[in-house]
Amino acid sequence: MSTNRVDLDYLERAKVGNFDLDWLKNCKSEWGVRAKPSKVGLTLRDISIGSYGQIPDHPERRTMAPRGCDIDGELPDIGYSINSKNEVWAENVMELYEEAVSRQWSATRDIAWSELPELDRDLEHAMCQFATLLSEIEMLASDFPAKWLWRINHDFLEAKMFLCTQIMDEARHSEVFRKRALAGGGGLGKAIPIVEKFLQLVLDAKNYDEGSALMHLLAEGLVLSVFRAGELLAPSPVEKRIFRLCMQDEARHVAYGTMHLRYRLEREPALASDFHDYLDRGEEIIAVMFTTPEVVEPAAILAAGSLKAAEEIGLAASDILRTRVIEEYLSRCDRAGLPRRGKMKLPESILSGTSGGAQGLLRQSA
Amino acid sequence: MPVIEDVIEFPSVEWFDFLCDHSREEPEIYEALGFANFRLAVEITRESGNPRQFGIFFDGYDVISYGELADGSTFDPEAVVSGSIETWREMANNILANGMADSSHTLNALSIADTPLRVYSSDPLGKDKFFRYAETIQTLFDATSRQREGTVVA
Ligand SMILES: [Fe+2]
Ligand SMILES: [Fe+2]
Repeated sequence: MSTNRVDLDYLERAKVGNFDLDWLKNCKSEWGVRAKPSKVGLTLRDISIGSYGQIPDHPERRTMAPRGCDIDGELPDIGYSINSKNEVWAENVMELYEEAVSRQWSATRDIAWSELPELDRDLEHAMCQFATLLSEIEMLASDFPAKWLWRINHDFLEAKMFLCTQIMDEARHSEVFRKRALAGGGGLGKAIPIVEKFLQLVLDAKNYDEGSALMHLLAEGLVLSVFRAGELLAPSPVEKRIFRLCMQDEARHVAYGTMHLRYRLEREPALASDFHDYLDRGEEIIAVMFTTPEVVEPAAILAAGSLKAAEEIGLAASDILRTRVIEEYLSRCDRAGLPRRGKMKLPESILSGTSGGAQGLLRQSA
Repeated sequence: MPVIEDVIEFPSVEWFDFLCDHSREEPEIYEALGFANFRLAVEITRESGNPRQFGIFFDGYDVISYGELADGSTFDPEAVVSGSIETWREMANNILANGMADSSHTLNALSIADTPLRVYSSDPLGKDKFFRYAETIQTLFDATSRQREGTVVA
């Protein structure tokens, strides 16, 4: 029984032990459920049993009542706008949540900041510009899920919980790169309009579909490839560890994005053309970044090991990275059920060596 | 504790068994890294003869050696990390010399450019798992250094 009235009569009755006990005698949720822990402990998958494990495709209610509980009376409508499971779900979301909780790390404790070596001035500058860029874009991946989280129906609890872990992961990524910029003497570098333009595109996405495709699949896929390459770019073992730890987290986010899109498209294949449009717009901006000095040059200097070496080899190392980044992204698009090979509408010089554009695809299949 | 000879044959079932058995000696390290769920095959290519593959299953905090994968094995790896026998030996000896892989001999460093190691999978998410669990996998391989001092991998 729940109303806005303060029930003083009830208080008097309860004081003398005359309890209501309706919740005890008349609760209609499932009784006798005994979830058994698996070898790592009691996981979300372990408790996804009986009526509690049934996740409706289209929940009837818009409340925060825990899925599977007995609902007493009329609960207020919270106003969720994402009420179809396939808008946010992924088959791996429970496992990814558990893994995220299990594999947290600390940018304060787990990085050997005191072992950061003094770098050559140009190299420090390059590392700081790179860290500035990463600190800037990482927070997007907190802001975007945070923006949509409260609109997602509470029955999709596990997806919401996973997005909470992503928010924490990205806060840490933003933190670790800000700390790196400030720990080596260089400080922060430049923020540039084209990067902000991409961030705005994701934040202003008109629906979760658009934002998730742009962020989880496109942007985070690229960032994952960059973190992988961090082992080559990092000027010291300290940054190598930063990149490796971030890489582990990033791969979870990409695993969610890829499998979410797959889940979505398997159930609503007609949406594919919308998703291609979203990605066309995002790729266009990313392509501009591939020709922006503040993005390209720090990576080139870090990869070469010095400004002088970078001037000698030009963009040779960055070109290898760009090709890999695009190919890995295309493979994930395939896995998500949204093949983009041959469909990317970017200049051939950006797509050279990849199967992204029509010409590249023809070349590779020849 | 497994006993290892001064010269370990690589590749061999014993070599991979040692690494996986050793993970049980330091459970707190694997627990701190967090759990994993990954079937990885390590492939060793040779100038002559077929490549050999060994299976490792990361199951929660446990790491289980599946021995050598014969044709028709049901292990079904989610990703394969492949390289020449010389590359693997160099990596192992680097770990033995330094206590852990130096920064140019980590699995990730050796595989970034697809050479001398290459990570492949028919499923890009299987390949991504190699990066999702990078620290756990590297910790496992770094246990090569726990073999007796003076050991050489040959
Ligand atoms: Fe991130
Ligand atoms: Fe991320």
